[in-house]
Amino acid sequence: MSNKRAQAMVYQIRIEGHLGPQWTEWFGGMTITPEDDGDTLLTGPVEDQAALHGLLRKVRDLGIPLISATRFKPP
Amino acid sequence: MPAAPILATKLFVPSPQPKAVLRPRLIERLDEGLRRKLTLISAPAGFGKTTLVGGWVAGIPRPVAWLSLDEGDNDPSRFLAYLVAALQAIETDIGDGVLGALQSPQPPPTEAILTALLNEISTDEDEFVLVLDDYHVIDARAVDDAFAFLLEHLPPQMHLVIATREDPHLPLARLRARDQLGELRAADLRFTPSEAAEFLEGAMGLSLSEDNIAALEERTEGWIAGLQLAAISMQGHKDATSFIESFTGSHRFVLDYLVEEVLGQQPESVQAFLLRTSILERLCGPLCDAVLLDPAASGQKTLEYIERANLFLVPLDNERHWYRYHHLFAELLQQRLQQSTASSAGDEVGDVAELHRRASGWYEDNGLEIEAFRHAAAAHDVERAERLVEGEGIPLQFRGAGAPVLKWLGSLSKTVLDARPSLWVTYASTLMMTGQHTAVEQKLRAAETALQVTEPDDRTRDLVGRIASMRATLAVIQHDAETIIIQSRRALEFPHPDNLPVRTATTWTLGYAHQLKGDRAAANRAYTEVISTGKSLGDSIYTTAATINLGEIQEADNQLFVATKTYRRVLQLAGDPPDPIACVAYLGLARIAYQWNDLESAGQHGQQCLRLTRQMESVDTVASCDVFLARLKLAQGDVDDAAAVLDEAGEFVRRHDFEFRMPDVAAAQVLTLLRQGDLAAAAHLAQRYELPISQARVHLAQGDTSAALAALEPLRSQTEAKGWEDERLEVMVLQAVALQAHGEKDRAARLLGNALELAEPGGFIRIFLDEGMPMARLLSEAAVREIMPDYTAKLLSAFEADEHKSAIDSHLRPAQALIEPLSKRELEVLQLIAKGLSNREISERLFLALDTVKGHNRRIFGKLLVRRRTEAVAKARSLDILPRHN
Repeated sequence: MSNKRAQAMVYQIRIEGHLGPQWTEWFGGMTITPEDDGDTLLTGPVEDQAALHGLLRKVRDLGIPLISATRFKPP
Repeated sequence: MPAAPILATKLFVPSPQPKAVLRPRLIERLDEGLRRKLTLISAPAGFGKTTLVGGWVAGIPRPVAWLSLDEGDNDPSRFLAYLVAALQAIETDIGDGVLGALQSPQPPPTEAILTALLNEISTDEDEFVLVLDDYHVIDARAVDDAFAFLLEHLPPQMHLVIATREDPHLPLARLRARDQLGELRAADLRFTPSEAAEFLEGAMGLSLSEDNIAALEERTEGWIAGLQLAAISMQGHKDATSFIESFTGSHRFVLDYLVEEVLGQQPESVQAFLLRTSILERLCGPLCDAVLLDPAASGQKTLEYIERANLFLVPLDNERHWYRYHHLFAELLQQRLQQSTASSAGDEVGDVAELHRRASGWYEDNGLEIEAFRHAAAAHDVERAERLVEGEGIPLQFRGAGAPVLKWLGSLSKTVLDARPSLWVTYASTLMMTGQHTAVEQKLRAAETALQVTEPDDRTRDLVGRIASMRATLAVIQHDAETIIIQSRRALEFPHPDNLPVRTATTWTLGYAHQLKGDRAAANRAYTEVISTGKSLGDSIYTTAATINLGEIQEADNQLFVATKTYRRVLQLAGDPPDPIACVAYLGLARIAYQWNDLESAGQHGQQCLRLTRQMESVDTVASCDVFLARLKLAQGDVDDAAAVLDEAGEFVRRHDFEFRMPDVAAAQVLTLLRQGDLAAAAHLAQRYELPISQARVHLAQGDTSAALAALEPLRSQTEAKGWEDERLEVMVLQAVALQAHGEKDRAARLLGNALELAEPGGFIRIFLDEGMPMARLLSEAAVREIMPDYTAKLLSAFEADEHKSAIDSHLRPAQALIEPLSKRELEVLQLIAKGLSNREISERLFLALDTVKGHNRRIFGKLLVRRRTEAVAKARSLDILPRHN
């Protein structure tokens, strides 16, 4: 694991079903983007792996089907 | 240490719901799975796992133990306590000894406890099921490992059911390969279209067209939680079809859509109630009232309304007192609560932290401190949380709340911790409990750093003292006497005079350090202080420990009668079933009985010691006990057995790093080797461990009396100077024998006279007997010279009896005696077992309750040291307790 204290990574989590913007705070400030195909994207900075797993656990606890989680490299 | 109370709601077996959909295909699979070790039900929230299992167990002919897991069960001690509690629901006294062991300051390793528990379970042949609900909350490796161990050694009569939202970290692949795993997964648990139809029409009372039912089933994909919410929502809609059209036409996450619908249909007061109480893990009327501060609606009445409306409220007992929301429903409500408070900023009533604070207050007023703490932590109220952790007496982390406290502390930022150094100290003591010693030191240093910038006052002085006390305890584990003394003294300088428990602990560690260094007088003083503090403060584990140590010192001072009394006091303090720490007292009694030549009692006490050590973490007492048993065997003439026991002891010591015990083992091995005639090996051993007394014995055996005397004389002066009475006596006895062998009969006789004077008050016999014929001759000389005539006569007749006994022994093979004979009743039960009667038949024949018969069985098996009926009968016959032919 890298020791870099760089800016947090950006993750995009894709889930099945639309969630509205009122869910932003529940998911730690992630941006909520509904897609035409019925999925929703949760996009935003995630501090570390522990925080990522915390987010995924929230998805699990709501019973929302998880489709993918992708990390974006900084530009 | 007192444990936290057991929450009955965690053990509650959910009652089957009368209107629940029958799912025979799943029930069949569950029934069929009973033959395997484990049934795993792994599916996301809202798939009806608990309902299914609850309904199923109501219909099987076996007793069921139920445990609903929560976060706190990540602490292995707590989890084990609840496991025992769950099992006790079906077998009332199972695991009582285990519970006792769990409450000692250093509980035994988990595997030892589980082994003891599994052994107990094995003595009862009735089949039963253990259900563990919500296993996904477990993320502690230690608990996962415990379950893996449980599964590996599962008795055939036990079937395990685990319900979880994610596959557990257990050896599932291995179980599958061995056909020991039954599984139900989401695909199995979804409602089939016909089940969905039955649910909507039968359970929810809707009448819908086939198309509508199909549309709902498709949209929810058979997700039970979704269907239930949809059904509730439709009960309030006049036009089912249009509802279904908009619902199925929307992409919105099913539950989000439906919860909004369902909430919208409720009166505002109920909406507010649902949102605000969603923060509670479990609910009862008065608690809800406290959280809402709303006098208009009674909490109890609202709960009953919600239950009738089928709004996902699950009862946790039969009295309609405690409930919980279905987890999924609660999550959704919490999200809405968060959203609503975010939008109406400044609305004090909606502030989530405030709600948690009120819940915390109610729990505190009702004596439920762990939950009060949890809510305080959730309210981010550090001050309140810390106050609750420390409590009135013993802090929460020592009362079964180790996991949540550790989690909370881990969530606090360094800034927060530095601002309150006491939190660093609590962090350290909580880590110490879990054995993470290197992490402890790091926190102690952080505490000291933080303390440097605080104003010195009583509280900071107390903290400095506590830090020193913890360092002393760490040093005890490493047998580092110097550090113990330095840190203990420091600790005693500082703490708040009211902090008596810490002072007591520290005084004890100080005493222990003195004992390690051989300063018996100082140790004696420290232990006596601990004991007298116990009288005024109330006895703690330290009183017991100090009493044991005091007994050891008295024994070492040759005050055998006083020591016996002290050891018996320990047994009193240790309770029934005895705290495993009492093993040391049994060992002391064994040694003393041996010295008094009561070899039978000595053997019994030795066995009792061994039995208790098995319940503890690997302790050096095992080695000490083995050394004692070896000496006993030597006295009984079993030289080869003695050697074997000592070999095992040596291996044990090396394996567990108890190097400081090697000299004791080696000294005993020298004795054995000398008896076997292997002088070279004995000499080598004595030299390697620098054992002067052993070296003297070797010289004597080699006939080199001058060398023996040369080795003994300086030792004699040293033991006299240091006041080590036991070693002094041993040296004097050996010296007398050596002097006689050297030809100095007069000096030998005089020295023996001195030794007899010292030994007589303690009633020593064996120390002379063990020297064999040379000592017998010396004693005859002493008798002639009329030195202590009564005592010498007693010793000489003991010599005669010993000789007579070995003559008999060489002719007969003595039967292995039972440690405790069977009672009359137990014998009756055993006789019926031998005739092949089942427990039930025995209970009818003897007019006893079934439980009573099972209790007798357990005791019979324990006394015979067997695990099964067949073994018990065989062993009883071999011991002539039962006739050999029917």
